[in-house]
Amino acid sequence: MNVSLKWLKTYIDFDFSPKELADRLTMLGIEVESIKHLGAGLEGVVVGKVESISPHPNADKLIRCQVDIGDENNLQIVCGAPNVYQGMFAPVATIGTELPTGITIKRAKLRGEESHGMLCSEKELALSDDASGLMELSSNLSVGMPLTEALGLNDVILELEITPNRPDCLSMRGVAREIRAETGNTIKYPEVALIGIDIEGDTDIREITSVTIADPDLCPRYAARVIQNVKVAESPTWVKQRLESVGIGAINNIVDITNFVLMEYGQPLHAFDYHKLAENRIVVRRAMENETITTLDEVERKLNPNMLVIADAEKPVALAGVMGGYDSEITETTKDVLLESANFHPASIRSTSKEHGLHTEASYRFERGVDPEVVISALDRAAQLIVEIAGGTICKGVLDVYPGRKKPLKIRLRKDRVNFILGTSIEVEEIEQTLSRLGFGIEPNQTEVDSFDITVPSFRLDITREIDLIEEIARVHGYDNIPTTLPKGDIPIPPLNKHEKVRKCIRNFLLSSGMMEAVNYSFIHPNSFEKIRLNDDHPLCEATKLQNPLSPEMSILRTTLIPSLLDNAQHNHNHQINNIALFEMSSVFINGNEPDRVAGILAGEIGGGVYGNPYRPPDFFDIKGIAEGILEVCGIQGYELKQTEEPTYHPGRNGEVVLGETQIGIIGEVHPGVLENYELPFKAYLFDFDIEKITDAAVFSKRFEPIPIYPSIQRDLAIVVDQDLKSDMPMDIINTTGGEWVESIRLFDVYEGNQVPGGKKSLAYTITYHSATETLTDKAVNDRHDKIVQRLNKELGAELRM
Amino acid sequence: MKAELESIQTEVLEQLKEITSPDDLETLRITYFGRNGKLTDIMKGMGKLSKEERPIVGKFANDVRATLTDAFEKTKKELEIRKQKQQLTGETIDITLPGRKPAYGKAHPVIQTLERIETIFTQMGFQTVTGPEVETEHYNFDALNTPPDHPARDLHDTFYLTDGKLLRTHTSPVQIRIMESQKPPLRIIVPGKAYRVDYDVSHTPMFHQVEGLLVDKHVTFSELKGVLVSFARQMFGDQTQMRFRPHFFPFTEPSAEADITCTVCQGKGCRTCGYTGWVEILGAGAVDPEVFKAVNYDPEEITGFAFGMGVERIANLQFRIPDIRTFYENDLRFLKQF
Repeated sequence: MNVSLKWLKTYIDFDFSPKELADRLTMLGIEVESIKHLGAGLEGVVVGKVESISPHPNADKLIRCQVDIGDENNLQIVCGAPNVYQGMFAPVATIGTELPTGITIKRAKLRGEESHGMLCSEKELALSDDASGLMELSSNLSVGMPLTEALGLNDVILELEITPNRPDCLSMRGVAREIRAETGNTIKYPEVALIGIDIEGDTDIREITSVTIADPDLCPRYAARVIQNVKVAESPTWVKQRLESVGIGAINNIVDITNFVLMEYGQPLHAFDYHKLAENRIVVRRAMENETITTLDEVERKLNPNMLVIADAEKPVALAGVMGGYDSEITETTKDVLLESANFHPASIRSTSKEHGLHTEASYRFERGVDPEVVISALDRAAQLIVEIAGGTICKGVLDVYPGRKKPLKIRLRKDRVNFILGTSIEVEEIEQTLSRLGFGIEPNQTEVDSFDITVPSFRLDITREIDLIEEIARVHGYDNIPTTLPKGDIPIPPLNKHEKVRKCIRNFLLSSGMMEAVNYSFIHPNSFEKIRLNDDHPLCEATKLQNPLSPEMSILRTTLIPSLLDNAQHNHNHQINNIALFEMSSVFINGNEPDRVAGILAGEIGGGVYGNPYRPPDFFDIKGIAEGILEVCGIQGYELKQTEEPTYHPGRNGEVVLGETQIGIIGEVHPGVLENYELPFKAYLFDFDIEKITDAAVFSKRFEPIPIYPSIQRDLAIVVDQDLKSDMPMDIINTTGGEWVESIRLFDVYEGNQVPGGKKSLAYTITYHSATETLTDKAVNDRHDKIVQRLNKELGAELRM
Repeated sequence: MKAELESIQTEVLEQLKEITSPDDLETLRITYFGRNGKLTDIMKGMGKLSKEERPIVGKFANDVRATLTDAFEKTKKELEIRKQKQQLTGETIDITLPGRKPAYGKAHPVIQTLERIETIFTQMGFQTVTGPEVETEHYNFDALNTPPDHPARDLHDTFYLTDGKLLRTHTSPVQIRIMESQKPPLRIIVPGKAYRVDYDVSHTPMFHQVEGLLVDKHVTFSELKGVLVSFARQMFGDQTQMRFRPHFFPFTEPSAEADITCTVCQGKGCRTCGYTGWVEILGAGAVDPEVFKAVNYDPEEITGFAFGMGVERIANLQFRIPDIRTFYENDLRFLKQF
């Protein structure tokens, strides 16, 4: 909400500079988002009158003007505006002025003619985009007057962020009350004393109209006055300037007054053309099925019984608390006005406004809550202003239907509780002063010491409990004045979180192995499954849809991390970055569960890409190595790698990691079809693990194993076997035959080619023998080694390669 | 003879100065010390000397011999050093060639920030807990004192799912879940993802929050300030000032927003802080009694405070990325910067 300081000062005095006021309001919880000095840069601009004009001797398009700005002599100003005429009042930027547009006015010669200032357009003064001609000012203004004063621009506008709990601050009076809490200064309420004495006419309102509330649950109060014989016209300047300063456009005097009082009291008002109401009466009721109304914005709207309307005898004439009807609006021909001041149920207004997508100053306040007790004073204030400004007479009496009247709320407040909650030592006097400045009634409780019975003012709908009062005391006391202490309570002992530990181990391993961490949105495009070649019946395709997605790309919750990583690879490749090593840890969304997963991608080039460490394309065993590392840091052993039919992967180059019966992850080369879908011109490798399953299997207990004291002996072994022999079979034989002496087996070469017969491959191992109890002799080792060779030959047909 | 020895010594010492290679040195050694060397010859002539002369000249000859042997040794060492030096000079490499850096990955900048936040609170005794991202209206709103028609729901533009559930708009629902299942005292933080319908340079539809909750028999607002000021100093530096402004959240009362001195201008006022010298970093407050009632705690007996902060926002106070959507493009040129 915008607040004009000039306007605000008519209700309460304060000596703060705009900046100080902004700071104080902010520290009271009314955050000031901006401070705007309206006339900034226009200090040297005054009202001038063009006394005479004459053609410029040397230029067709220029005119010499003699301009009166209230000095002894007229100024000669050369001007090229098409609309200048003798007698025109226009803004004059005097010599030395630096306009907000950046132009500095200097004495100048234009085609040989002296010019002592500049006659300005609205654009040159940064008041609007209108550059069509000079800005025409009212001829009622006095010559030489500062323009800021003439236009009411000598004002500062604060833009306030009012939190949803404080609708009472959505008015000048509301903000004035906050300043009273801060300063203790008195609020000057406008005088609304004339009603009933001087200007009420003879006609009794009860004789010419009536108000019926058919649905009191949605309308706690409805009051009306009728003003007869008004003259609808443009508002006087002061009203227009007030409204414009807070960003409300002027319409006509009647509507402007309702808006003026809205800003003043926070009470939305509506003016009907009395004669356009069927039977000239008001019925507040729920809309009927299929009823319609054309609102002031000339949109025809369908209504339903959840919506409250203001109706006449026949039809809805306003969408209650949201917007008036087009057919009953005030026009130039309106003579008699029925003025509404009412209170509506917040939730009902909120849902109606939401359903129509119609958010107005009125609905904004009603849906947050308006003081039901301000209804009559706002109505009277507006009626009086109408008579003052638009003439006419007020019918005698007011219609005030108030089925929702409530007793003022009383709350017990304990001083000790205040200090218990805040950690302060605030005294009784401060509590009393704070609450009374905020408009609360205070009575000491008769039975309890340092305890009060607090009466909540009707405008503070947000205060219903002792804790709410404590907040009031805290914010006026100043949060910065509350001590800063450390918690005194015991620190609870946290349980061991194995899942977190596994996550950290895996993350550290992946980072140390050179993979960069990615974080992707949880939403993906529904076509992602097709892109990774999953059939519709694949379990991962059962994804949850968003009801209100931002775009198709972000319209379902991902069930797998793979599409995100492939997207990342594509993004990077499209930007010529091809050394792709990325991983992500995140939960995915499957059947109402959110399993935590870790997946990664290697693609393009790996290696340092520098002299001596060139780039090379990754292969299956790079991704397998990473997978093995993940399992190793989690202490998982005894798993198997089994080929799968998962369609995302190359059918001959993938494997699921299986522990017992459980699949804990999958690794493999990406299927060429998938690569094509992501427009990747190189191979890519993925791993994808279930962190929960790794957590179940993880073993972190470790025990010391003695460092060998006897020397070890190494033997190399190269064998030629069938090409399709799985490398774990010789491994098994070496292990079982070598027994406890085999400390390690390292496969250091795999060879297929000219040096071995067709259909064969060579595998070369280094076997390290070692005994924990003795120094092994060459002979003992050779015997054991020979046994291995024999078994390899017998069982696998392996020939020693010489 | 003595004179001869003296002249040989002078001669050899002179010649040694000229020697530049081990071969020359060896030749010189043979010339004097070899079987037919000059010095050897003289020594052979010792026998012709008188009995009286022999010990005197003998001693002198031994001295010369020792001196020369030392001189030869010294020259030999010098030659070796010179040779090694020459060799090493020849091995000079271009040290400006690039180093072979072992591959190492980097954590995502948002996660790095999240981990820093987590570490600070862990040191203050807060335990990390997590909760589901798909939530019910009950946990995301109702139990947090935000009934369906509350205008505060406008502050959270919510993603709804087809089965009536929603994506949590903050990590606060985990507060409720933990309080439902545990008794005070509680000291927890909840890092995690949250979602709101928002997509512009300063908003992403998915973002990270860290929620905190401390609940005990007598927790005060002053302790909330203490915990958060400690956090701010550790996170942003010892000189960081923090101010608390009254604010509104449905699930805390009194509520506050906390600002820290602008990290760009150190509080002097700049564009980043809108010339106020302060930047907002988190929302906080004393747990609202209605929230305690929703989890069957007695609000007369139990008090507490909660706070929540946006991780991207805090990360960006340091990184100053003009469009925070960049965080989720996972461009490697971006990720490698942090």
